Amino acid sequence: MTALDFICLAPFLLLASAPIIIMLTITITRNIKVVYGFSLLMFLLSFISLFIVAPYIPHVIAPLFIIDSYSLLFLAIIIFAGFLITILSYIYISQQGDDKEEYFIILFVAALGASVLVVANHFISFFLGLETLSISLYILVAYIKTRSYSIEAGVKFLVIASVASAFLLFGMGLIYTATGSMNFKGVASALGSLHALSPILLTGFVMLLVGIGFKLALVPFHMWLPDVYQGAPAPVTALIATISKGAVLAIALRFFMDIQGFNNQAIFIALSAIAIISMFTGNLLALNQGNLKRMLAYSSIAHFGYLLITLLAGSTEGIHSAIFYIASYIITTLGAFGIISLLSVCSGNADSIDDYKGLFYKNPFMAIVMSLAMLSLAGIPLTAGFIAKFYLVLAGVKSGLWLLAFSLVINSVISLYYYLRVVTTMFTTSDQVKPSTIPLMGNLVLVVIVIGILFLGILPAWVSDIIASLS
Amino acid sequence: MVTVSLEVQILFAGLLFLIGLVGLLVRRNIIFMLMSIEIMLNSAGLVFVIAGSHWAQADGQVMFIFILTVAAAEVSVGLALILQMYHHFKTLDADALNTLRDKNER
Repeated sequence: MTALDFICLAPFLLLASAPIIIMLTITITRNIKVVYGFSLLMFLLSFISLFIVAPYIPHVIAPLFIIDSYSLLFLAIIIFAGFLITILSYIYISQQGDDKEEYFIILFVAALGASVLVVANHFISFFLGLETLSISLYILVAYIKTRSYSIEAGVKFLVIASVASAFLLFGMGLIYTATGSMNFKGVASALGSLHALSPILLTGFVMLLVGIGFKLALVPFHMWLPDVYQGAPAPVTALIATISKGAVLAIALRFFMDIQGFNNQAIFIALSAIAIISMFTGNLLALNQGNLKRMLAYSSIAHFGYLLITLLAGSTEGIHSAIFYIASYIITTLGAFGIISLLSVCSGNADSIDDYKGLFYKNPFMAIVMSLAMLSLAGIPLTAGFIAKFYLVLAGVKSGLWLLAFSLVINSVISLYYYLRVVTTMFTTSDQVKPSTIPLMGNLVLVVIVIGILFLGILPAWVSDIIASLS
Repeated sequence: MVTVSLEVQILFAGLLFLIGLVGLLVRRNIIFMLMSIEIMLNSAGLVFVIAGSHWAQADGQVMFIFILTVAAAEVSVGLALILQMYHHFKTLDADALNTLRDKNER
């Protein structure tokens, strides 16, 4: 490896060194404040290191990694989300029992796994990144071990995610058998010389699709998601909803674009069907949910159904709209889960939608942030969600995906019902007016999220220009 | 020496994968489910070894070592979770894990 390779790997080296240093500090003294401050510092440093890497892209570290503008943007999103989740986690976890410091170690390992995923260019780095991410998520989901439902969610997540990995691996193995290459570009060039897909190759792609479907929780592989969302501590749910899913989508998009999967009729039809079924199932099941976390889980199934459009569009507009959609989805979801986790700290678990009755009269700022997040998820103008959906429909229509664009629009209308229900619940009066205060840092996170949602919604050109200019 | 064709080798790995999958679906004891997952992961590893020897590359074997490592990490977390599960639910029956579900309160 050359010195340039090490410079380009700086964000990863920083993220990887953080758990080791935290472990060393724990051996000296157990102080959650030190660990927390250090975690924030490391996320900040790795974010700054992205600017050091930026002049050297695109840079390939053969054979495993490729660091280009696409992966750099996703890295920025992941590290930014990791920073906000660290603050939310600290507020949440410092109210719990013992052994709080190790949480941040595993948080960093999860962020590292996700970062490896977005630069992966090879089946080995794909698999290792995914497993680093998943295994640390099993631990985080079941982190608060006095809660039986967290353990239940952890066991369910472990079984389902391992099966997904097995499918993914078997699919990778079959593709390797048929093409003789594990590098994405190598697979693509081997595919280019083939006229028809052999049974081995087709089975390989189907199993790979099943594995990714499980990880992204697309219908019919979505059953685990609501349980895990509900059982996990609120900041961990935010981590799964943002970093984990975003990174898996990034690698799926890269692989799909490299092998030009949208050109194959069978794969195209299968993915379109999954996309449409995911949109409808997610939104229809969310309609009748009394639990906010489960509702957001079903809504996330629908949102990833929308995002499949970017895979099928097969154009640079598709990739750009995917990055914009992920960015706005992550900031919006962080807003929603941020409120849930801050409220859970003040008053036990704030899962049920009824817990939000009269929130506006108790804490107007929180209610306004939550309303903004819900409106953005629904895709109301002036919020990030609207612009993201607009770009998505635009990319779909440009590639002639009328059916998918049409069902996206219908589903946006369906989803309005349950998002607005949360908003109206917060503005109804309730007898138990008990003002809830949130820590300063929590307020800071919420302010950042509000600025993010409004900025992406009102001045999207600034961000979309950056995305367009990079690739 | 008798050589076995590539298709037969892949079919064998596929059979192993199916055994694991069926075991996972049929068994309700969480430890047996974890063992079935191990069989599935190892069958995937076998595919990589077969492909590696077919293409005369070391990549397949390298991938197998990674799979072993990851599977070991997964099992260690899995067993820790099973201990906690036994602690809370006093059973290893996966069907006992049914407190999280859709309630349709409205």
